[in-house]
Amino acid sequence: MFEIGRICVKIAGRDSGLKAVIVEVVDSFTVLIDGQTRRRKCNVKHLEPTKEVIKIKKGASHEEVVSEFKKLKIEIIETTPKTKKSEKPVKQKSKKEAPVKGKASAPKKEAEPKPKVKAASVKAEKPVAEKKEEVSEPVVKKD
Amino acid sequence: MPQGKDKSNSRRKVFKTTPGAKRVVHRIARKPSVHKCAECGNELKGIPRLRSSEAHNTAKTKKRPERPYGGYLCSACARKRIIQETRRS
Repeated sequence: MFEIGRICVKIAGRDSGLKAVIVEVVDSFTVLIDGQTRRRKCNVKHLEPTKEVIKIKKGASHEEVVSEFKKLKIEIIETTPKTKKSEKPVKQKSKKEAPVKGKASAPKKEAEPKPKVKAASVKAEKPVAEKKEEVSEPVVKKD
Repeated sequence: MPQGKDKSNSRRKVFKTTPGAKRVVHRIARKPSVHKCAECGNELKGIPRLRSSEAHNTAKTKKRPERPYGGYLCSACARKRIIQETRRS
């Protein structure tokens, strides 16, 4: 009864009342269906077979099934799959900031002894030099 | 004296015991009746008991199952009816 190419009506679930073709027989009680329903494995208990049988290959693609259904004048409403909400802008910001700090810290290390001498002589430059060192240290640990 | 709205039966009684071991009557708005299957009369699952003002603001998908005859027939009766339709055609 449930062989490849048999058109069935789904009885249970949110796809119930919709027509589908059996594309592949998995077990004695499960089949792979496609058509008006989503392409999915299905228990035979949740299907009601009809008289119609189509000639299709085993494991036929969704496009092949759609073209066969057009001949029978059964409409299939194509739905676009959901796109996940990506947090790409946030990640890009963090990536952009990291290399800038690394570049800035590298030359400072080479020039570390010089500002210390300057800082001792000029009081105004002291806090600026200290702040830059603090920022550079945690970045080096991460790398 | 209780207020006029608390004396009528439109709001149901709820008996509560206070910390001082007194018994107090609270009045709460009644819920609407359970929705039932049109064929077998069993309770319909997945349908909240909302007042019309509450139902107005909830989504359509939260008020009934998303299948043919959802919210009208129970799942077993809907399955029977779909099988009948396919066998007739």
